[in-house]
Amino acid sequence: MTAESKRKRCRPVRTAAAGLILTTGLSLALPGTVLTGGPASVSAAENSQKVTLRIANWEEYIDEGDWDEEEAIDLDDREGTTILGENSMVEDFEEWYRETYGVDVEIEYSTFGTNEDLYNQLTLGNNFDLVCPSEYMFMKLIAENRLQPLSEEFFDEQNENNFYIRGVSDYIRNIFDTNTINGEPWSKYAAGYMWGTTGIVYNPDVISKEEASHWAVLADPKYKGQVTIKDNVRDSYFAALGILNEKELLDPEFIQAPDRLERIAEIMNRTDEETVGKAEAMLKRMKENAYSFESDSGKADMVTGKVLANYQWSGDAVYTLDQAEIDDYYLAYAVPEECTNVWFDGWVMLKDGIAGDAAKQQAAEAFMNFMSRPDNVVRNMYYIGYTSVIAGGDSDIIYAYADWCYGAEDDAEDTIEYPVGFFFSGDNADEDYIITAEADQADRQLFAQYPPQDVLERAVVMQYFDQEKNERINQMWVNVRCFDLASLTWQDWAKIAAVVIVLAASLVIYKKRDKIRIRSGA
Amino acid sequence: MKRFRFSRKQLCIPYALFLVCFVILPLAVIVYYAFTDGSGRFTLANFLSFFTNGNTIGTLCYSAVIAVAVTAVCLLIAYPAAYVLARSGLKRGPVLLMLFILPMWINFTLRITALKEILTVIEGNLSLHPFLNTVIGMTYDYLPFMILPLYTTLLQLDQNLLEAARDLGAGPASVFSRVTLPLSMPGIVSGITMTFLPAMTNYVILDMMYNSTYIMGSLIGSYFNIYDWNNGSMISLILFAVICIVSIVTGGGDQEDAKNRGAVL
Repeated sequence: MTAESKRKRCRPVRTAAAGLILTTGLSLALPGTVLTGGPASVSAAENSQKVTLRIANWEEYIDEGDWDEEEAIDLDDREGTTILGENSMVEDFEEWYRETYGVDVEIEYSTFGTNEDLYNQLTLGNNFDLVCPSEYMFMKLIAENRLQPLSEEFFDEQNENNFYIRGVSDYIRNIFDTNTINGEPWSKYAAGYMWGTTGIVYNPDVISKEEASHWAVLADPKYKGQVTIKDNVRDSYFAALGILNEKELLDPEFIQAPDRLERIAEIMNRTDEETVGKAEAMLKRMKENAYSFESDSGKADMVTGKVLANYQWSGDAVYTLDQAEIDDYYLAYAVPEECTNVWFDGWVMLKDGIAGDAAKQQAAEAFMNFMSRPDNVVRNMYYIGYTSVIAGGDSDIIYAYADWCYGAEDDAEDTIEYPVGFFFSGDNADEDYIITAEADQADRQLFAQYPPQDVLERAVVMQYFDQEKNERINQMWVNVRCFDLASLTWQDWAKIAAVVIVLAASLVIYKKRDKIRIRSGA
Repeated sequence: MKRFRFSRKQLCIPYALFLVCFVILPLAVIVYYAFTDGSGRFTLANFLSFFTNGNTIGTLCYSAVIAVAVTAVCLLIAYPAAYVLARSGLKRGPVLLMLFILPMWINFTLRITALKEILTVIEGNLSLHPFLNTVIGMTYDYLPFMILPLYTTLLQLDQNLLEAARDLGAGPASVFSRVTLPLSMPGIVSGITMTFLPAMTNYVILDMMYNSTYIMGSLIGSYFNIYDWNNGSMISLILFAVICIVSIVTGGGDQEDAKNRGAVL
């Protein structure tokens, strides 16, 4: 039994269209009145010492505790830590906060299914204090000036309770510092939680690694009806641009360019009318060629072998690979050679929720820090299966966990040296951070969870688009998905006309049957 | 002390409240959003853009074609089934009816998932026939809604009328077309309303059957997904109007048939 198959992973449902419609529909009926004011606001008033924190996170995106004794993870770190999630992370935080800060805190924890679902809830006046949307959504919230900046204390590396700033990977920290919206860096408002790349889960028996390492595999007529594509405009648009710009992105000169990353980012964030038009045509082609656009079914279809390749986020790719492995079915994950979209989910505080309450902000920031404490990071990663943005800082627990997951057994024959220093220490050659893994892990879970340096050299952030650009790509997406009357040939029209005429005629005959009979009888 | 008694009017209050809260108010909100733009000003742009955009019209046609196909197939399967169950005096009639209804007790997503697996075995690759699969999936899901009203009307059909028709010299075919069919019209109409409307909007089945082309329900959902409540509401309202027209047309036919019934007698 390999280490990974021991892992319990729960699937975060990132999209649930049906649920969204239901929530939207219900909330529209009584705007803003039903959802505001939880029961706990009363108890907060009773006890001024008590802080109530309203948190919204993705479904299944936090350790809910209740592990079996056997599930305890014995890590091979310096202290020989054992990780076991007895209580839920939320309960543990309440206890930790009381002990550390001497203040009672009550967490009202709720979940959402999509970023849009969360945004709609916020718009309808649901006052959360701390939420965990994806990067484009917190960029939107920053742009709309709805977020509370993190306090200076949060960034004080001397404070030993500031687990986030002491532990966050330099690679991630740099991205959060350099990506800006209206001139303000993400890091002013957001603390990362989980991150990953986008790529392609494929069946290596049929599709070669070389083929899967290009976005074009998603539009390849050779695999007609055998690939699935993400059912959301941002991911699909990114893939379409990757195919359209393949030649330029793979040009050796382009790859050697010192500003390669900036140039990829520029290409992959184009939203001018010409580009969007081309992407629309490409996506229409992809729609005809694909098995389906999927928001949730892609993982299962991949595991059951209905499709050969699936456009997927790295976190869900790990889940898919794990699931397939249970049935002794071996899949792999590839990140296209052209470029990939590096994504984040991050914690942000809402201005409306915090409302200038310092005690509340302190609790919210403490929560982010608690989630970044290395042992808690391991618990969450184990439970969710995604990759945390935390490298651990002084602690080697998180690296020990990666090694526990992917390190080869001592007697394994075919092994590779897989450097992860790029993420853990900023230096990929760092000998302290080289995992000796089984050779196939270079294309599988380890690769998905800790991408090697060359992948990160082509990993760009997809920016948040302003209203006008957003409307353009959204309209493009509707156009792709709608039935195009122009696609009908005159033969189709003739068939439709024939059917209509036959139906109308039979209806008329049925209605007039008495008269017809009378006449013929007379 | 005078005993407090509810008058009839007072008994209506809960229902009236219910209607106001869950029928009239939501509809009013939809109408408000449909005729305003993002900043709350009155506009007809949403209305006009629906009818000037080939894609939305295409979607309306596509959903209508799916709905018509589903309803027609349901009717063709359900009518003979209901007729046999109700008229042929089978000893096990109620049990057989139960077998048709039984799947409704299982959540439809589960049933569609099972159907998907069966169709995969038969067809090989589901993505090659998205339209056909959607029709099969929806027919499977809505068949009980068609059978039940038909069964009820056919069961209540007055045996004397059929005998009278036969006595007056009508053959089996004319008994059916001139007595049974017109008399079962109410069942047909309610069956059609119960399948046609959901078939135009139920995009969960559509998605599950791997049909990547939007129908009206998915189009509305996609607009709400991108926070465009105004266009989303307008499309809902237009769909509402379409449904109203369909109901009036089928209901009108029903009345005419009621007159015919008089003629038969």
